[in-house]
Amino acid sequence: MSRRAAAAALFAFAALAAGWARARLDTLEAPRAGTKELLYLPNGKYLRAASLGQAPIVADVVYFWAIQYYSDYGREDRYKYIEHVFGTVIPELDAHFIDPYWLGALILTTEAGDVEGGLRLLDLGAERNPHEWILPFLAGWECDHAKEYDRAAAYFDRAARIPDAPAALVRLVAGMRARGGNLREAIAKWEEVLTDPRGDDVSHAIARRQVRTLRVRADLKDLDAAVLAFRERRGAPPRRLEDLVRAGLLGRVPLDPDGKPYGYDPATGTVSSEASRVLGS
Amino acid sequence: MKAIAAVALNTFREAIRDRVLYLILAVALVVVGGSRFVAMLTVGSEIKIVKDLGLAAISLFGLLIAVFVGVSLVSKEIERRTVYTLLAQPVARWQFVAGKYAGLLLVLASNVLVVGSAVLAAVAVMGEPPWVLVPAIALILVELAVVAAFAVLFSSFTNPILAAVGTVAVYVTGHLSWSFDLLKKRVAAGLARSLCDGLHAVLPNLDRLDLKAEAVHGAAIPAGTFAAAAAYGAFYALAVVVLACVVFERREFA
Repeated sequence: MSRRAAAAALFAFAALAAGWARARLDTLEAPRAGTKELLYLPNGKYLRAASLGQAPIVADVVYFWAIQYYSDYGREDRYKYIEHVFGTVIPELDAHFIDPYWLGALILTTEAGDVEGGLRLLDLGAERNPHEWILPFLAGWECDHAKEYDRAAAYFDRAARIPDAPAALVRLVAGMRARGGNLREAIAKWEEVLTDPRGDDVSHAIARRQVRTLRVRADLKDLDAAVLAFRERRGAPPRRLEDLVRAGLLGRVPLDPDGKPYGYDPATGTVSSEASRVLGS
Repeated sequence: MKAIAAVALNTFREAIRDRVLYLILAVALVVVGGSRFVAMLTVGSEIKIVKDLGLAAISLFGLLIAVFVGVSLVSKEIERRTVYTLLAQPVARWQFVAGKYAGLLLVLASNVLVVGSAVLAAVAVMGEPPWVLVPAIALILVELAVVAAFAVLFSSFTNPILAAVGTVAVYVTGHLSWSFDLLKKRVAAGLARSLCDGLHAVLPNLDRLDLKAEAVHGAAIPAGTFAAAAAYGAFYALAVVVLACVVFERREFA
């Protein structure tokens, strides 16, 4: 066999063998490194030193990598080092890079169901970036989803106090206070919206309607509680609402937002409001 | 002054005829242009990625130019023996070195201007005010001026390979000079601690010329901080160039 023929045969053999091996390889699943891969991720402060003045771009690269890593839903224990990656490594490279804080928090709260972990990340970001209202704002929504309305209100309040935060954030504080059952605090917040010069006509109209609705709800709540206390003390509901004042259970009988007295059925001890019916609450 | 300007212009003309320079410039522009596509990989603010990549491109490709052009500036003239012809003219040795450095500085400034303009345009196209990046870009040029000064210093007494190693070493050490302060706390008082203090004071602290993160996040950069950083870099570079002139004055040619 000539040298040329031998080379051609060897080439054909190698090409066929490579093709077969490639086809075989394609049928096999690629091995997964699992979270062990993360053990080799250097700490942010060492990466910063090694970056020689290019820490922001290294932070971007680690962030890109983290997005790819956490987009692979097949990984086991994928939530184990999220706080380390998004709360330590990337911030040590670029503490003012906001996105990793909220993305890490989103993965923790939405996918891992770890609300506290997500809030820790957002708190960390807010602590390092006190001028960024978006982080306490997102923390507020996470608390809202978790039905922790008072905590949500506190976060929205924190966000609203940051200069340049949208004026509408105070509405969220008021909304969360109302959801949490703190109706008087909610009214106070809506009144704040009403007097806020930054608010537009729509915002003021919403605030007026909310103040009116919540005032009725708060009054009815106070009256119901007083009637219940009266019933427990005397064994029967009061004949008139004024009896609640005489019994020392109320300072005064409130009037509804239209200045009319609240309705009262002495037979059942039920307090009602025409204003609330009008507003459909 | 006339002699320095003549050498500087010649150096500039010679450098811009070099194809490698255009290759570096083209790659830098591709990086800046492609940054919008890279930014698609992120979740969140794409503009940050564009700014980071742009500033890194100005800095790193500028460093490449400073090293590769700078290290052979003086030694090439000696190797080709063109230095004899030059020095036979009414040009003092120090003027020759100063002119070479000024020429390199012109090349670096042109590179920063071209790539910097591309970065500012990319940021403006994305709807953000690009001017916040200007102080960071200006300090990158100051940093490159310091590195170029070292390249010329090493080039004035050694061969290009050693000069490149030395210049890169200065760049690395300049970004790690904080570690001498750290080391000082871990060694016993005495000579070692004094050495740490001395090195920390004498070596360039290039981290102080880095305002990239602040600019990218739109943080207020106090005018005093910027001016002090620029003055530090400029005077440091001047001191190194003076040293290069002294070394070249004392050098004997075979």
